[in-house]
Amino acid sequence: MVFSQKRNIVIAIGFVCVLISSCGDNRQFSEPLPETVDFNFHIRPILVQNCYLCHGPDASGRKAELRLDTYEGATAALKEGGHAIVPGKPSKSQLIYRINHEAEDLVMPPPDSNYKLTEREKALLEKWIDQGAEWKPHWAFIKPETGIAPNNSNAIDSLIHMRLRQKGLSKTSKADKNTLIRRVSYLLTGLPPSPEDVKRFVADTSSDAYGSMVDRYLNSKGYGERWARHWMDLVRYAETKGHEFDYPIVGAYKYRDYLIRAFNEDVPYDQLLTEHLAGDLLEESRENKETGISESPLGTAFYVMGEGKHSPVDIKKEEADRIDNMIDVTSKTFQGLTVSCAKCHDHKFDPITAADYYAFYGIMESTRFTPIADVSMTTGQTAKQVQDLNRYMRKIVADSWSEKDLQEITASRESQRQNSPLDAPYTIIGDFRNSGFDRWLTNGLAFGERTTLGNPLVDRTSEKLLGLDKGRASSKTLGTGVFGSLQSPNFILDTDYIGIRARGANSTIRIIIDNFQLIQDPIYGELEQQINSKSWNNYVFDISPWKGHKAYIEILPGGYKGHHYNLPKDAFIEAQYAITYTSEWPVEMKQPIAKPVKKENWATLELSANLVNGLNQRLAEGKLPSEFPQLATALDSSYQLIKNIEGGSFFYGITDGFGINSPVFNRGDHNDLLEGDIPRRFLSALPLGDVPFTSKGSGRLELAETMLSEDNPLTARVMVNRIWHHLFGKGIVETVDNFGLQGKLPSHPELLDYLAITFQKEGWSIKKMVRSIVTSETFKRGTARNEELTNKDPNNIYLASFPVRRLEAEAIRDGVLAVSGSLDSTMYGPPVKTYLTEFMQGRGRPSQSGPMDGAGRRSIYQEVRRNFLEPMMVTFDRPIPFSTFGNRNVTNVPAQSLTLMNDPFIAQQAGIMAEKLLAQKELTFDQKIEWIYMRTFSRKPNPEEIRKAQQFISGLRKMESTETDTDNEILIWKDFCHSIFNLKEFIYLI
Amino acid sequence: MQRPLSRREMLGICKGGFGALAFTSMFGVLPFGCDRPKTSAADTDLYLGAHYMPKAKNIIFLYMDGGVSQVDSFDPKPRLAKENGQDPRKKFKVDATQFDNVGKILKSPWEFKQYGECGMPVSSLFPHIATCVDDIALIRSMTSNFPEHTNANYFLHTGSGIQGRPSMGSWMTYGLGSENRNIPGYVVLDGGLIPPGGLDNFKNGFLPASYQASILRAGAEPVANIKPLEKVNNLQEEKLQFIKQLDNSLIGKMGEADAVESAISNYELAYKMQSSIPELTEFKEESKATKKLYGFDSDDPHTRGYAAQCLLARRLVERGVRFIELTCPKVAADRWDQHSNLRDGHERNAHAVDQPIAGLLKDLKSRGMLEDTLVVWTGEFGRTPFAQGTDGRDHNPSAFSMWMAGAGVKGGTIFGKTDEYGYRVIENEVTIHDMHATIMHLMGINHEQLTFRFGGRDMRLTDVHGHVMKDILA
Repeated sequence: MVFSQKRNIVIAIGFVCVLISSCGDNRQFSEPLPETVDFNFHIRPILVQNCYLCHGPDASGRKAELRLDTYEGATAALKEGGHAIVPGKPSKSQLIYRINHEAEDLVMPPPDSNYKLTEREKALLEKWIDQGAEWKPHWAFIKPETGIAPNNSNAIDSLIHMRLRQKGLSKTSKADKNTLIRRVSYLLTGLPPSPEDVKRFVADTSSDAYGSMVDRYLNSKGYGERWARHWMDLVRYAETKGHEFDYPIVGAYKYRDYLIRAFNEDVPYDQLLTEHLAGDLLEESRENKETGISESPLGTAFYVMGEGKHSPVDIKKEEADRIDNMIDVTSKTFQGLTVSCAKCHDHKFDPITAADYYAFYGIMESTRFTPIADVSMTTGQTAKQVQDLNRYMRKIVADSWSEKDLQEITASRESQRQNSPLDAPYTIIGDFRNSGFDRWLTNGLAFGERTTLGNPLVDRTSEKLLGLDKGRASSKTLGTGVFGSLQSPNFILDTDYIGIRARGANSTIRIIIDNFQLIQDPIYGELEQQINSKSWNNYVFDISPWKGHKAYIEILPGGYKGHHYNLPKDAFIEAQYAITYTSEWPVEMKQPIAKPVKKENWATLELSANLVNGLNQRLAEGKLPSEFPQLATALDSSYQLIKNIEGGSFFYGITDGFGINSPVFNRGDHNDLLEGDIPRRFLSALPLGDVPFTSKGSGRLELAETMLSEDNPLTARVMVNRIWHHLFGKGIVETVDNFGLQGKLPSHPELLDYLAITFQKEGWSIKKMVRSIVTSETFKRGTARNEELTNKDPNNIYLASFPVRRLEAEAIRDGVLAVSGSLDSTMYGPPVKTYLTEFMQGRGRPSQSGPMDGAGRRSIYQEVRRNFLEPMMVTFDRPIPFSTFGNRNVTNVPAQSLTLMNDPFIAQQAGIMAEKLLAQKELTFDQKIEWIYMRTFSRKPNPEEIRKAQQFISGLRKMESTETDTDNEILIWKDFCHSIFNLKEFIYLI
Repeated sequence: MQRPLSRREMLGICKGGFGALAFTSMFGVLPFGCDRPKTSAADTDLYLGAHYMPKAKNIIFLYMDGGVSQVDSFDPKPRLAKENGQDPRKKFKVDATQFDNVGKILKSPWEFKQYGECGMPVSSLFPHIATCVDDIALIRSMTSNFPEHTNANYFLHTGSGIQGRPSMGSWMTYGLGSENRNIPGYVVLDGGLIPPGGLDNFKNGFLPASYQASILRAGAEPVANIKPLEKVNNLQEEKLQFIKQLDNSLIGKMGEADAVESAISNYELAYKMQSSIPELTEFKEESKATKKLYGFDSDDPHTRGYAAQCLLARRLVERGVRFIELTCPKVAADRWDQHSNLRDGHERNAHAVDQPIAGLLKDLKSRGMLEDTLVVWTGEFGRTPFAQGTDGRDHNPSAFSMWMAGAGVKGGTIFGKTDEYGYRVIENEVTIHDMHATIMHLMGINHEQLTFRFGGRDMRLTDVHGHVMKDILA
């Protein structure tokens, strides 16, 4: 509604003359007005739909200074006198006056807004004000409550029945056993039940037959394969980055496999959520039970699944777009909120402010992208052993010195330092000639805990100590070809050059500006250099075009080719220091200052390069002992350990950078920053939302903890609603990704709350939740509906019967493979390459096509190339991966019919099925039909169907004629099987 | 609580009476092949329709992939000749470019001449289109937000630089439906080059899949899976008959049958498409003169290819297809993206499309079809007036030329102005959003009212922007 100021003046004059009939109770509506009008369920939807565009939370578009999204705002004195709402007094409420007004320039909402209130809506508003205009927070922001004890096996049914009774609806009878096993099998595993399973279940008359059938599917590996795919819709899963050339998202499939394992092992949802948001930051990672590889960091790959642009002209905007997508997906997936709407202004409808958005922005901006190596727990332990040995060796040497030695050295070096010459101006970004990494971050294992400074250098033959190593950051602490990276803090580019003194083989230094990773020509090629010289060199980067941008330096063994990270066996990199400067490379770097060092802590303490030089001098002069037979043995053990470290393969994930607080971008413009940085924190309207994060890094772990706090009203609700949605085809809240004010209201709020509380109390177990829903009576109902149901509840919101639904793209394709008998049930691994038809053209097209039948593997294992999405998947509504899609469209387009009628893959599978059928020579005609029906529809054909099949087959016999009888039979039965694939009973779950 | 359609969802849907009157067939009431939402009890409950009387019924969108140089086609700049070879940085502020290889000011290698009664100048790249200028409204003041192909393509096609939004053709069919029950309402004629960004330029985004483009290719199988596999006559019919029989017996067994019923009727449509689509691409009934007009007898195979696409576009319009986009032919010198060898590349591209486009305009006009068909010609951005290297031009989103012809458009007009170098717009800037708003306006749609709820927002093709360019309307 728009209360314009001009119009208000008119009202002020005309107000006295107009009488309002208070309360609309005597008016008749098809659905009677409720006894008590509830703000959340009756009033807010009216206000959101009709008024908030001008009188909502966003101050920038607000008219007449009136806001109707808060009690205070709605009851405040209007500028021109009166109050929009006077609780208990509809006749004194301007709102009621204006919505009932007949004059075009006075009525609210104004006609040109195209909004119009119905009589019932007007009556509701009146009655609500009459009853005192009680205000409540948005329903989803109130903590769930239930009077029912958790895990009550009757709770679901009794809450559903309660609502059915209220609505006067009678429920449909239970579905038959064939229907049930097919339903459970498809919904839990995405595959049809095998004929043997069907027979066994139908024959099983024991009381727990249904329960044990459910458990069989819950515990089958197909369960994870189906539910992982549901999750992949939320995180815009793809294996390439789209844009112009569709570059790879390396190792994306490992994330897919991680999900499959997680669902199959029933990893608790709180753990799954934490691993997604901050799996890289957990003190203790879960491990893959089979490979021993660290599992938790894989969760973070979801951040990286977005699009990527290789040559953005505006690199800062590219970052803003990338982060926007990350915020969008994170907030929708885990909280069912559309935080991205607050990018340019406070949310128009939800209490989400632009400041909330930029608090999230800081979290994402402080997060860096990186390849992550598969590291097994044993490798981690080996690395630790090598470091222990190193510490041991240093201690042996140090124990041989006296306190006096050290003090003398420190004093003499201190005096020398004074004489260093002045030099051209420069700034040190990192100096690795001391023992520490100078505040730089290390990822992976390669760089160890400290630089090489002070490592004992031992002559292997004489076993004598030759000296102590100089300081440098080295990726060789565990040998060559080990993954790790060394990253500087963020700094603002303000000089012409970055210089790094380094050496190495097959390695890389990259300047990461605004977190931009797809470095290449044109524009960005110079930001990456290959390091391929074993002697020390000065590597210079011209950064003059990017002054004012934030950046960090990344030093890593291995490198990128076509944005695919590789780590050759001989790859290593070492660096002494990194500087920024404008004129010329400084002639001599200042030596670091020696600090007095206590002998007993020598092995672990920060060392200075000066001290090491002094020690080396004394060693050379023979003033310090050099015989250490233990060193050679220790060194040998170290070499033995290093040999066992595998190079591993990679996935693109994230790592923590340094905490950055972002300012608000005025109207979302990254070039127009408002004063003041917003601390990283959660959403202000939710519990703990005003507590700034204190971690030095991004704060993602705190974000996860906040979302999982017991008081958070959304986390559990959103997830149980998703589970319900996947089982019934529709959520209790239909807008599964939007629990905000514009989302749909829950059809069964008590049930949603009960499930959410049970979910939390029962250890966040997804399997338990699925089981409790699937074993309810509500789930087992048949789909038949009588006229009464169709009239009273056309959308089947109250679930008097089980909702009919079309199977998803994957279930249709996998079903075809399963029924034809050509399904290869191999799990995991790199994806099967996309089969390219001639319609799939354009830049980035792979040089080779994958097999037409996808090698018989399940659809979840087929490659997802953003720019070359599989036509059959898209045709049957698999979402285009760009945002969170918790609720797929279900369309009905001719391309679907054409696929089933004419796609060579479908025909091929029909042929395979026919051959399998005819290979069983003993089958009679009726048995053949039964064989087909049991596989395809999980039931036996009825006599009518057999008769129709006979007619059809004899018709086919007349048409198909080839040279040999066998060929002919195969053709005929192929036609038959092909027709069977085209039956609606095959692609619908009934 | 039970709200099959929210009021806002109904908005933009039930506006005006035109839609209901004009499109009573199944595929007029609803877009091609689109399921009636399960929520509606009767057919008339939901229809999409125009907001007011449209000028254009159909659109042919001639997409000049890669970015045609405005200063070499429709926006002559004598100053470039005068200052040829000089350093542009000394003349004006040069923005960052994609290839960051700024050369000297580069004069156009082509001569401009004035044509028609209106005297519109056109370069010698387009001698045929030049003969149609009195039907053309030229806009010299286009701008884009993106200097990179992919984002600029998404922006041009979907109103957003980000992947995954519905393309304009999807919005049009969502808003207006199609008039033909046997052919999709939104068709892309693939001339050989799929633009950077891929097929997502033509996708439905968050709109239902029913609104995505059908890609038609030249050749024996113009649409995927359109050819029946059955080699024996009537075999497919026999199978479909069997399928229908069994499907119908299923309906009785279950509730909520609407979805299954529409899936069944879908088969009839799919079956008809098998003949209606291939029939389109057979030009047997087209006269020799018509074919010649389009350039079927050209020596240049690319001209012949594009001529066939243009003729096909006219045939689609005749069959009521709402939105037709033509992508560029694959000439030897890449799309219009001449970062080097401007002369050769632009000449090859121009030669391929010039005569067919002129042929299309003339053919439409002589048949009286230009009155309600809107022809739009544009790239995703323009090119720099200075060289990239020595003989190319880089991307320039700050100014480019486009034109429209036909329904509701004032022929012979020139709108907007660039600076003396053709580098930036100095008068009457027209954004991509404005272009969308105008196209929608001509189609009878108020761009602010055609919305779709996604991710908590009522999304529009024009986002929160867009103004109708009244000056070029007839």
